[in-house]
Amino acid sequence: MPNIVEVSGLKKFYKNFEAVKGVDLTVKEGEIFGFLGPNGAGKSTTINMLSTIIKPSDGTAKINGYDNVTEKNKVRASIGLIFQESTLDEKLTANENLMLHCKFYGIDKSLREERIQEVLEIVDLTDRRKSIVETFSGGMKRRLEIARGLLHYPKVLFLDEPTVGLDPQTRAHIWEYILKLKKKAGITIFLTTHYMDEAEICDRVAVIDHGKIIALDTPEILKSQVGGDMIEVSTGDNAAAKKLIEERYETEVTESENNHLAFRVDNGSEFLVDFVKEFDIPIKSVNLRRPTLNDVFLHLTGREIREETLSKKDLARKGMRRRFH
Amino acid sequence: MEGIIAIWQRDVIKFFRDRPRLIGSFAMPFMFLILFGSGMSGAMSAMLGGSNQAGPLADFDFVEFMFPGIIGMTVFNTAIFSALSVVQDKEFGYMREILVSPISRVSIAIGKVLGGSTVAVFQGLMMLIFVPFIGVSLSFGMVLELIPVMFLVAFTISSLGLLISSSLKTTQSFQMVIQVLIFPMLFLSGALFPLNGMPSWMNFIVKINPLTYSVDMFKKVILQPEQMAPALRQAMGLDLSIFNHVITFLEEILVVGVLGAIFVIAATIKFSNSEA
Ligand SMILES: Nc1ncnc2c1ncn2[C@@H]1O[C@H](COP(=O)(O)OP(=O)(O)O)[C@@H](O)[C@H]1O
Ligand SMILES: [Mg+2]
Repeated sequence: MPNIVEVSGLKKFYKNFEAVKGVDLTVKEGEIFGFLGPNGAGKSTTINMLSTIIKPSDGTAKINGYDNVTEKNKVRASIGLIFQESTLDEKLTANENLMLHCKFYGIDKSLREERIQEVLEIVDLTDRRKSIVETFSGGMKRRLEIARGLLHYPKVLFLDEPTVGLDPQTRAHIWEYILKLKKKAGITIFLTTHYMDEAEICDRVAVIDHGKIIALDTPEILKSQVGGDMIEVSTGDNAAAKKLIEERYETEVTESENNHLAFRVDNGSEFLVDFVKEFDIPIKSVNLRRPTLNDVFLHLTGREIREETLSKKDLARKGMRRRFH
Repeated sequence: MEGIIAIWQRDVIKFFRDRPRLIGSFAMPFMFLILFGSGMSGAMSAMLGGSNQAGPLADFDFVEFMFPGIIGMTVFNTAIFSALSVVQDKEFGYMREILVSPISRVSIAIGKVLGGSTVAVFQGLMMLIFVPFIGVSLSFGMVLELIPVMFLVAFTISSLGLLISSSLKTTQSFQMVIQVLIFPMLFLSGALFPLNGMPSWMNFIVKINPLTYSVDMFKKVILQPEQMAPALRQAMGLDLSIFNHVITFLEEILVVGVLGAIFVIAATIKFSNSEA
């Protein structure tokens, strides 16, 4: 399959701060490609460079064969974009938002009606076509944005944190639509997320941290690189238990937020039998599971990707950045 | 081309949908005309020494004098505040939808200026509702003449607004800049009182103020000064002149038009260079 996205040595400097430090990657046609990383890793910055919104400081990116700097308009016609923050006009109706989009993208007059119906059907919003967007729920707005992003049949659909801030049920729904899309239109999807379960759905995942890709492969291979099984225990004295496990089994133990200790072993089921028998500190619970992408990230960086724990500073920065866009 | 129309259309649709703004837009002109205008007219006439006297100055009617100025003010305000939508679109994110589409930056800028101009013309025309109450006689021909003049003024001022908004990121900063700009421009344009016997530095500002020529065009169309007695015309400040040359209607069109061209080109360049 041909490469629809080709990126090499892509960098972005904000003054002296290097937000993206040389990204190389290719995406094949029809793939769902995920960008996984914590807040501030450089996901949005990368997507903004790929979609011609900001100019790369260095490196090149090609989409659908067109250069992102010298052939901006051709790139723009080839992509659909769904941003982290809504870009709908909430004072207009769903139909008006879609109709304007048709005009911006020069979709032939005779095709518009049909296309609008088609994309509204994909996201189940047909009956809300004439409603003012202001009256929509967060999930409906997201769906409408996805519909709008599809109107001009883009080759690549970029989604920046498509489900951030939505409740789990709505998140699941949005994913249904995205997968339906891939099946139906064979469209290439490039998305960013900091949710592990979402990254699992992707065909390939690039793990990004501090502006650099630190791993890139299918979720299966990434997880098998961590190898073995993950053991989670909670004990009467976690601090002592942590020390003991690290000494006795020579493995690195991390403490997660819900008072669990997690560590990796080669063969979990065999290990557990002896572990429970010989462990001196009272065990409250023990659990064996396969490594997740979170463990991959932990393995690579020694940190967890925290979900939904924005610090006050992050929030303030987010508010500020919004204005700069 | 279709891109320009789409951008234009969006601003026009939103203007007509925004009822509170539509109604609110009558508040300022109403207050100026009725409260300020009627309240001041006695004092004005007295100052001119025309209230109890016969002669040409007896015809001086302050409210009538103010009416073209109010139209000018309305067109000016609407046009310059139309650029607020550019800043709002940046804040609320819609600008990114526009900027990542394949329409050129030039089309976006032109569409925005035309949208603002159209809205300002509508708003200006709405002020004609006051005509029956203030004793100005306005023929159908005059209204037809007024529309292109309004459009020219609105176009120039919308371009100025876009130029300002292209370098600003927040609604607050835009509103502040506009407030600082609006009042001197308005007060020193002859919209609210006749500009006679001013200190020379002030006179200088009046003459470089594009609004002066814009307001004077409205006065020439609505008040028909060539049919007035010279003394009255003088008292009403209708003999706008520069270096002792009384400026003609055609020259005013030229001045405002050339300024508009400069503003729209500068605004388009500025807008095209701004990142999303
Ligand atoms: N306009 C900007 N000016 C300065 N720094 C920025 C700007 N945009 C992003 N950054 C910084 O670049 C880094 C990457 O940000 P971003 O790409 O938004 O991360 P992510 O989307 O992965 O959460 C962050 O440290 C952020 O603070
Ligand atoms: Mg982001």
